[in-house]
Amino acid sequence: MPILSEFSLSGRVVVLYTAGGDEGPLLAQALAEGGASVFVVARRQKTLDVVLAALGVGSHNGVASSLSSYADLSKVVDTFDLQYDRVDILVNDARSFFAKPFTEIGLDEWDELHARNLRSVVALCQSFGQRMVQQEYGRVVNLISVMAERGVINGSAFSSTQAGLLSLTRSLAVEWGGHNIRVNALGTGWTTADDIPLEVQRKELLVRYTPLRRKGNPRDIGPLLVYLCSEACDYSTGQPVYVDGGLNAHP
Amino acid sequence: MLDSLSLDNKVVVITGGGTGLGLAMVRALARAGADLVIAGRRKGPIDAAANEVINMGRNALAISTDVSDSTQVDGLITKTLDHFGQIDVLINNAALVSTNVPKPIWDISDQEWQGAMDVNLNGAFFCSRAAAKPMADRGKGKIINVASGFGLRGGRDIYMYCCSKGAIIQLTRVLSFSLARYGITANTIAPGFIPTLSTDSEFRDSLPASGAFLPIGKLGQPEDLGPVAVFLASEASDYMTGEVMIVDGGGLAGGIAPTGHAPVTALEP
Repeated sequence: MPILSEFSLSGRVVVLYTAGGDEGPLLAQALAEGGASVFVVARRQKTLDVVLAALGVGSHNGVASSLSSYADLSKVVDTFDLQYDRVDILVNDARSFFAKPFTEIGLDEWDELHARNLRSVVALCQSFGQRMVQQEYGRVVNLISVMAERGVINGSAFSSTQAGLLSLTRSLAVEWGGHNIRVNALGTGWTTADDIPLEVQRKELLVRYTPLRRKGNPRDIGPLLVYLCSEACDYSTGQPVYVDGGLNAHP
Repeated sequence: MLDSLSLDNKVVVITGGGTGLGLAMVRALARAGADLVIAGRRKGPIDAAANEVINMGRNALAISTDVSDSTQVDGLITKTLDHFGQIDVLINNAALVSTNVPKPIWDISDQEWQGAMDVNLNGAFFCSRAAAKPMADRGKGKIINVASGFGLRGGRDIYMYCCSKGAIIQLTRVLSFSLARYGITANTIAPGFIPTLSTDSEFRDSLPASGAFLPIGKLGQPEDLGPVAVFLASEASDYMTGEVMIVDGGGLAGGIAPTGHAPVTALEP
């Protein structure tokens, strides 16, 4: 099977942040299959164990952290530094979902969600991005939801975090463009990591509304993630790429 | 998971495949394992491109085609099916670039307007129409349209190019929505400034001479489009449709100008 050598991540070191969710293990596997060493930062130990188990043997490692203070952040960086001497790629999958009628959302809930989904990414981009600026090379990919582009009932808090991530992506792309760093967002629609038969999926109105008439699977974004992390992605930056079964082209 | 990026046993039809961005895509597609049908108006460049592909160990066919003529387009698709028996991917890349000299609206003739629309928009429509039916009959297919950052933003005196490229992005969205049920996806690649021989003669005055005005500080190269075309042509993009992949050095994310604007303002107490 001929595959372009430009897609290779061989010799690259990735920091992969996952807040949980069912896509982390497959994203990690795609990066490892591309040839990268993966350092996993997970919000909880349970998530870290699952992702590291999915990676299996290899030069992979990780740490659990909620990234809620500078002390947390230092622990992550110190643990990383024990094993690696450079970081080439940062992938942030910080999508904790939350939905509630807008007037019932407590300001503390709002802050907590923004801390989890947006501030955690800011913290990692500052710590590891600084190194990328110094070494004049880097790739950053922020996983986002198609809700960055759409309003959904009860989705105000979540959507605003996703739009925030997209805006951060554009800003960092421009601010770091001259340092050979590319920053892009990879957007998903309705997804599941379970292999649910199509006829069962299509009982849901949301699935029938999606032009390709199925939910997305983490496998659907693995190769694109590898492209966005590769050297081949030299002239694309500051853009979201949605892999959403056509939802974004839809009225 | 990454095997899906291979194009082994895929037949790709690409218009405007003999030169510029098209040729760069042809080379990458062939390296990824595709067989190619290379269409273009002039025989010389498409024959040379086909020979390159054959020398790489793949099959290739060069078919002289003016995409603004739907009879010739139908012939292109028929000949492809006769030779290969299938079309997996159509890449609508042909466009009039060098004759699209920016000029004031009152100096644009009917013929100039129509000529650009005929190639840039009608060509993509004719090719999509001709290829969609055999793809639908097989239950799978991919259409890739090459637009431009000028399809999303305006440019001074660049009427035909901006309008036709914007229309191509809409064509993609309608194709994606309409053909999804037949297993066909449609996506757009929107390149930013990438100098080629045709931009050299045509957009010369409207293109920044270097990439100084782009966030990444340099212009793109035709080769930058290769991996994007391979991804969109491959099964790795099966769940993606109706999308625009922008390859523009950050131009749309930041705006082309004034690059370097870097305000520092303290927060008010």
